[in-house]
Amino acid sequence: MKYQFNFFKNTIKTVLCASILVVSVSCEDAFEFDLPEAGSIEDKTLPTANFGYIPNALDFKTVEFNNLSTESTKYLWDFGEGNTSTEKDPSYHFAAGEGTYPVTLTASDNNNASHTVTLDVEVVDKFVPIPVTIANGDFNSGTADWKFTEFTGGNVNPFNSSGDGSFTKYDGTDNGAKTKGAKWTKDTSVSAGANARYAYQAILVSPTLVDRIVKYKLEYEYAIKTPAEQAGVAEGGNRIFSTILDGHYTDGALAVASTPISTKTVSEAKGKTSHTKVTQTFTANASGEVAIMFSAETAVDVYIDNVKVYGIVED
Amino acid sequence: MKYIKFLIFAVTGAMFVSCDTEEFLNPLPDSAIVTNSFFKSDEDVLAGIIGMYDAVQGVNENTESSSIRYNRGVQLEYLLTEHRSDNTRSKTLEGSRADFHRYIVEPDNVQSEDYYQSMYEIIFRANNVLEYVSNASASNIKKYSAEAKFLRGYAYFNLVRLYGAVPLVTRVVNSDEKELLFTRIEEAKIYEQIVADLQEGVTYLDNAHKSRASKAAAQGLLAKVYLTQPTRNYAGAKQLCEDIINSGKFSLESDFKDVFYNELNDEIIFAIQYLSGNPDESQGFSSEFTSYSRQGRQDGLNIVNPNLAEDFIANGGNRTAVSYAAFGEDAELSIPENAEVIKFLPDGYDISDTNLPTYGGGPSNAGNDWIILRYSDVLLMHAEAIMEGNTTNSIDAINSFMEVRVRAGFDPIADRPSVLTVNELLLERRVELAFENHRFFDLVRLGVAHDVLGAHATLKGYTSYNIRRLLLPIPSREINLSDGILTQNPQ
Repeated sequence: MKYQFNFFKNTIKTVLCASILVVSVSCEDAFEFDLPEAGSIEDKTLPTANFGYIPNALDFKTVEFNNLSTESTKYLWDFGEGNTSTEKDPSYHFAAGEGTYPVTLTASDNNNASHTVTLDVEVVDKFVPIPVTIANGDFNSGTADWKFTEFTGGNVNPFNSSGDGSFTKYDGTDNGAKTKGAKWTKDTSVSAGANARYAYQAILVSPTLVDRIVKYKLEYEYAIKTPAEQAGVAEGGNRIFSTILDGHYTDGALAVASTPISTKTVSEAKGKTSHTKVTQTFTANASGEVAIMFSAETAVDVYIDNVKVYGIVED
Repeated sequence: MKYIKFLIFAVTGAMFVSCDTEEFLNPLPDSAIVTNSFFKSDEDVLAGIIGMYDAVQGVNENTESSSIRYNRGVQLEYLLTEHRSDNTRSKTLEGSRADFHRYIVEPDNVQSEDYYQSMYEIIFRANNVLEYVSNASASNIKKYSAEAKFLRGYAYFNLVRLYGAVPLVTRVVNSDEKELLFTRIEEAKIYEQIVADLQEGVTYLDNAHKSRASKAAAQGLLAKVYLTQPTRNYAGAKQLCEDIINSGKFSLESDFKDVFYNELNDEIIFAIQYLSGNPDESQGFSSEFTSYSRQGRQDGLNIVNPNLAEDFIANGGNRTAVSYAAFGEDAELSIPENAEVIKFLPDGYDISDTNLPTYGGGPSNAGNDWIILRYSDVLLMHAEAIMEGNTTNSIDAINSFMEVRVRAGFDPIADRPSVLTVNELLLERRVELAFENHRFFDLVRLGVAHDVLGAHATLKGYTSYNIRRLLLPIPSREINLSDGILTQNPQ
């Protein structure tokens, strides 16, 4: 009994030892660590250089590069004329302006494997003028946004609010009925002196620079009563003046006395609510700060509606 | 006592097996199409087809919470799409789910890898069905094939838009066919395959189902593919949208809320169904979208950016009140900072008290369907196809556009534009389809993703954003398994 027990005990020991040994060996291959370099694998995923670019929104000569290289960590850009960069996403100023410039990108990995690509970068002056939004351009809010802050020897009220505006809504669609508008009369004409009314709104446009002339277009609709509707002719004819002022003015008196960028006179009398759309092209000044001013010289009622300003895109 | 011998041998044997390096060191690549079952009868093939939808449906994180890839299907898709647009973000900055909205997703991101794997799981199951579809009843073979190809096209469309060029596997293959499994195929070729797959759906499917592939679903998805592929096919997309519109089978719900809470309604063209309270068939995203009284596993995901709330306030109409909600102090703000998505609230919810919203008995096992395609999307695609990337004054385009806007409470005459611009269309899609995973793809498709998201990232201080972030990195697990065949996107 005793002998038998010992034998059994040894069996347990033997089997345990054996199994532990086997277990510890069985995973050895799987978990063995390689020595440095021994059995190392060749890097077959090599760098590929590639890039895209976007012109800077404010300066077309400055190009922002987007690195689209793969499997790489180091970059060398060659913009020509000895100008280089090692940034990942550099931006570069092509001082000479419009043209085609070959740009070379070399992308390398940490084994110094490299790939080089040369792409032509087109620098084009695609100027887009600042869009202008006219506040209360449809006069639906009465005289709001059209007043001078002060008017030495005059009146800051810009016009008479009127229900006899254009049938056309501000978005160009037909309203099927009159909309609101702005009105001038004999009593609010320029010749009425201190009682004369001037509509004024300051706007910001893209400035004209040394190498770029920027043009905008003022658009509005006007109507003048026919002799059948109302009698009377002002000296020089019943007419409306649309003016683009050179700068922003707080005092109406200074604005009226200033030399404007552009003035247009319209005088076709087609009758109340029979509006005519007119446009007036003007060149932006160097500051980009200009203003719209409307006034009238008339013996009969005249109307303005739907004032808009567009930038003119030239190809 | 004498059994102990056998016990020891058994334990030893088990240890041998447990170190089996085959499984441990040779995991199967996600794109591997390894067949382990085959279908012998019509019922078998049909079961295989239902299995494909199971792959799209994915596994609820609350049922199987392991954070390793677990085939979540579409349940994580909002992270890869909405979070990477300007629509939504994660409330917390901790964990891999918080990487998407900050554009810092790395190749080892768990959720990105899970989605990649989920899409290949759909492709695997579709290829498996196609392999054995000849064993189905003769009258069903074409329909079953078209259904499998529809889902394969759906999965590849998601992959190619998120990851760019990907391996193209269209048959059952062995795991040792590494060249096929890991060689990236250029996007144009992937799109050719998607178009071919979806065209079969258009030809051979009918409109019997909304929670399975249908003719209209194939038409709608193909229209979107035509609007997205490298060489656009605007005429094709317009025709497909008109086929759906003229079929008379779909219409807008008069109440926007019914789109989401009246499942498989007239507006739904294709949706993935979930069952409330059933751990195997429910979804977890509804609970993840809560935050103020949080029901999910995180502090709140898909949190609405103020910039989207502003667009809703100006252009949402009656959609605003049923798309997002603000709670607590946030409810007092004119533009909420941390509003929550309410298009997918779980059964039994009550959010009438903004200080004490409740979400029923089992919000983490929600049953809200996931809508993949609905009629208003088709109407807006119709306008987009006519526009061809430009401003339009086409009556047809503006009619389709206005149909969506009028349902939202806008006036058919006073609010009708005389011309329709791309920006107006994009804005309308943003508020109509918010939180339905469209925004990111819309921005890319309409060519303004870098402009809009670059400005958004600057505003939000997401400094890691650059144009390369518009593509997700290929999951590193796949690259590691490929022996150098699979290449990474520019990083």
